[in-house]
This record gives sequence, structure tokens and C-alpha cells, in this order.
Amino acid sequence: MTLREIPVVGELLESGAEDRVFDTLLLIGPGIILVIALLGRSPLTLGIAIGYLVFFLAYVLYRGVQH
Amino acid sequence: MNEALETIGRDLGRMFEALAGLLFVSLLVPLVWGEYWAIPALAVSGLVPFAIGYSLTSRFREATRPGKLHGMIIAAVGWLCVAIFGSLPFLLIAWTVELGVPLLETPSRTSTLAAFTDPLNALFESMSGFTGTGLTMTDNEEVLPRTLQWWRSFIEWVGGVGVIVLTTAVLSRPGSGSLTLYESEARSERIHPSIVSTVQTIWWIFLLFTFVSILLLWAVGMPLWGAINHGMTGLATGGFSITDNSIATYDSAAIDFALLPVMLLGSIAFPVHYLILQGDLRNLYTDLQTRWVFIYMSLGTLALTMFVYAAGTYDTLFGAFRYGSFQFVSAATCAGFQTAVDATNVALGRWPIQAQLTVTFGMVIGGAAGSTVGGIKLIRALTLLKGIRFRIADVFYPESAVRRLKINGRSLNERELRQEFEEAAIIATLWFVFLAVGTFVLLLILPPGEYTLENVFFEVASAQGNVGLSAGITGPESLPTLGKITFLFNMWIGRLEIIPVLVTLRAVFDRGGLYQ
Repeated sequence: MTLREIPVVGELLESGAEDRVFDTLLLIGPGIILVIALLGRSPLTLGIAIGYLVFFLAYVLYRGVQH
Repeated sequence: MNEALETIGRDLGRMFEALAGLLFVSLLVPLVWGEYWAIPALAVSGLVPFAIGYSLTSRFREATRPGKLHGMIIAAVGWLCVAIFGSLPFLLIAWTVELGVPLLETPSRTSTLAAFTDPLNALFESMSGFTGTGLTMTDNEEVLPRTLQWWRSFIEWVGGVGVIVLTTAVLSRPGSGSLTLYESEARSERIHPSIVSTVQTIWWIFLLFTFVSILLLWAVGMPLWGAINHGMTGLATGGFSITDNSIATYDSAAIDFALLPVMLLGSIAFPVHYLILQGDLRNLYTDLQTRWVFIYMSLGTLALTMFVYAAGTYDTLFGAFRYGSFQFVSAATCAGFQTAVDATNVALGRWPIQAQLTVTFGMVIGGAAGSTVGGIKLIRALTLLKGIRFRIADVFYPESAVRRLKINGRSLNERELRQEFEEAAIIATLWFVFLAVGTFVLLLILPPGEYTLENVFFEVASAQGNVGLSAGITGPESLPTLGKITFLFNMWIGRLEIIPVLVTLRAVFDRGGLYQ
């Protein structure tokens, strides 16, 4: 079974910006929030959250430059 | 059975089924937070729309596609019914606590929750949530059960994009008349040729941005539960908060400034977001509405900062900028978060008159069409301004001159210009008419001398623009029953851009072909 065949997840992958990186960011978003909820605020969780945000922003800019 | 009623019934049934799905998903919240006593009320709240929706869709399965008239009626009636069914969790949970149902181990009663035992207050909260307004009947959101805190945020989040957009994304199939319904919910822009795939992409973008918003707010210091709720309501430009004094509770400049991009994201049209994610960053300035979102926010911020600083409302220029920028962006994006409240500084209702009117102006115009904002929308304001300039300049050209008006890269001929200008003028006129009617009603019913004219004007503009900033008039006790009903109507017409509601009312009063 591939990711695209999973209910909801498959539809999400079909619907977006047709970019695997953005799809991945969308899919791991809830996971990161869950990790934060379980572990609380720590340098590790803060680093993960900031890493997610910086990567999102940098990738948008990278796509812009590439375009 | 009349054919039109069958079509309307079938599509309303779909909306109710989608709403029931939202309520069933929300059952996770009381499970996670251990509020087991709220589960029966929430389950019943979901079963009612599900049963009605299922029976309608089953019975009218073979109904024909909706036409323009049906689409408008479905949108108007659907939003009203969704608000009514959406009020059930408020009502039933409040009554569960009020009655102290045995075996359920209900928490102790609070006056905040008790306010929802009045069906009108529950309906007000639900309508305010779904329309993304954010005016509230609670006097202290912090003491609400987590289940209701979530439900308030969740309905704003869904309402920001639209109940019909949700229904279309989840339950509709290509060729089911989705375009008609989509356009009836104050949307027209498409991302893909297919409406179903357009709305799915809209939800995709909205979900991704929601995660980004939540993580941003958490990273700058907001507790996680607050970040989840404010991330959702900030992006949806709804403005419900889970704290007593809205964002002012945190009293953090970092959180204030982090919310600015979240609200701005919500005020930019989804097709532009899509193009930006595709790498076409030029749309940030080539798209007329997006360019004006930034120009308009900057000018408004500058004006508001100047007014509050010059009047001595804040001691420092930074303070004036912090509160001025937040409140203007919050108003113009129709989010309605407040940082200017009595607890931390000077409440909005006591800002200088010129500052209050600047905020009101922001609320009236709103952000970009095709986003989550309310108000008249930038494109209409710009069409009116450019149309007026075009007409005035017409006098200086010979009669034989062939002129075209350029708007957002489109070159409109005389007929197209007349059509667009007429639409913008009609909506703007109706907007101001209902603003005046609402103001008049409130002036009649509010205690004399308690609120100034600008306070009343501000509050009505806030309700109709689906903004949610308050000068202190809205509340379970402070707003009389007729005022609540007036605001319910203002919020309803504001979300649907007036015309579908008027068409529906005409159809109801005049039978508009429904019974032919």
C-alpha cells in the first residue's frame, strides 16, 4: 500500500501544491504538535518547531528563486 | 414535492452531515481532556444534524442540480441552520452543568457557562463563530470547558473557509452543481478548472498554514493549547480567544508581532497562496489585492500609530506602534483579536475618536476577496475608486474615444466595467444601509448616555464586517435581546455578502417560484 492509497492522506497528497516537500511538511505538522504536547517546552521541542518554520520559509523562498 | 425544494433539501442535508462530522470529530477533545461529562451533550449535538441531514439527502438523492437562485437560498438558509445546530453544544453542555446530571460528575457551575443556557446566547456564539466574527457572549473564556473552547475555535476555523466549501470538498462530486454553491458563499476565484479540486486545494493550503501558525505562536512563547486555538482562529481571521482579555492576556510584544503574519496570511486570497507555494512570488506585488493588503495595512498602521501617540494614549512611540499595528491589522483582516483592553493599557472604546474611526474604516473595507476575511473587500473598494476615476476622466476624452479600464491585469470594456462597478456599488451601498439600520436600532435600545455614537457605529461595523472587536457593548447582560437579534442578522448578511440573504428573504416572502 502506498501513501496515496491511504484514506485522507492520499487525498491530501493529491490536493496540494503538487510538491513532495510541502506534502511532507503538511503530514508531519500534526506529529510535531503531538510531540510538543507530550514533551512540553524544551530546547529540543523548541528547536524542532523553529526548524519546521525556518524550513518552510526557506523552501518557499527557494521555490521562488528557482521559479 | 416541488423540484426546487428537493434540490435545496438535498444540499442542505449534505451541509448538516458535514456539520455532524465536525461534531463527532470534536468528541476527541473531551476524551483527551477528561471532560467525559460533556460527551453525551456533544454526541446528541452531532446526532441531531446527522439524522436530519441523512434523511434529507436520502429522500432527495435524485434531485436536480442547483441553479443560481437555489444556490443563494441554500447558502443563506444553510448558514442559518448550521449556526442553529452549531449552538447545540453550547446549549446542551451548559444545561448539563446547570442541571448537574447525576452519574456524569459535572464541574461546578460558572456564570460564564450559565449564560449559554439561554438559547439566544448560544445561537449568538455559534453564529459569531461560524461567520468568523468573534463577538462573544462569554465574560470569561478561561473558565469554559476545553470542549467548548475547542468548539468555538473549530467553528471559526471551518467558517473561515466556509461550510459549503467544506461540504463540497468532502461530500460533493464533480458536476454536482458545486460551482453555483461555491459562488453563493461569497467566493468566485478558482485554483483549478474543477471546483471540487479547487476547494480541496484550499483546504490543503489552510491546513498547512494552520500548522505553521500554531508552531509560530508556540515558538514565541504562547502555551500550546492557546497556540492551537489562536493559530486556528487567527488564520481564519475569526478572533475567538480562550483567554479573558484576548491576546492582551499574554501581554507579550513577541506574540503580538507573531500574530501579524498569521492574520495577514488569512487575508490573502487562496489562489495567490497557491501560486506563491508554486514559487511564483511575484504575486505578492503583481496581484492587485495582495499588493493593496500590504499598502493598506501599512498606511492604516501608520495613521493609527500617529493618532494614539499624538493623543498621548501611549507613552512611547514603540507602544503606540505595537498596539496601533496590531489593532489595525486585526481590524482590517477582520480577525478581531484585542490587545488594547483595560487590563493592560487603554481599551479600544476609550481610544481617541479619530483612532476608533480609523479602526472602523479598516473593518468596513476588510482584506482580499477569496480569503477568510469579511468587510466589503479590497477588490470592491478598488473597483469603485478606479471606476469613479475612470468616469470622471471620461469627460476629458472625445465621445468617439475607445477606453478600457485596467483592473488586476484585466482590461475591461464598457459593458464589463458597468457590470463590475454595479456589483461593487450595490454591495457597498447595501453594506452601508444595513450598517446604518443596525446603528439606529442599537441607539434606540441601548441605555441613553452609556455609549457614544462612535462606540455604537464601531460595534455594528464589527458585527457586520465579521471582525469581532468590541467597544464593550456586546455581552450576555450588556446587549439587550433585540440587539442580539440585530447582530445575528448583521453577522449573517456580512458573511454571505448580503445578496443571498436578501434573495432568500424575497423568496420566502414572495414565494420566488418555490411553490410554483
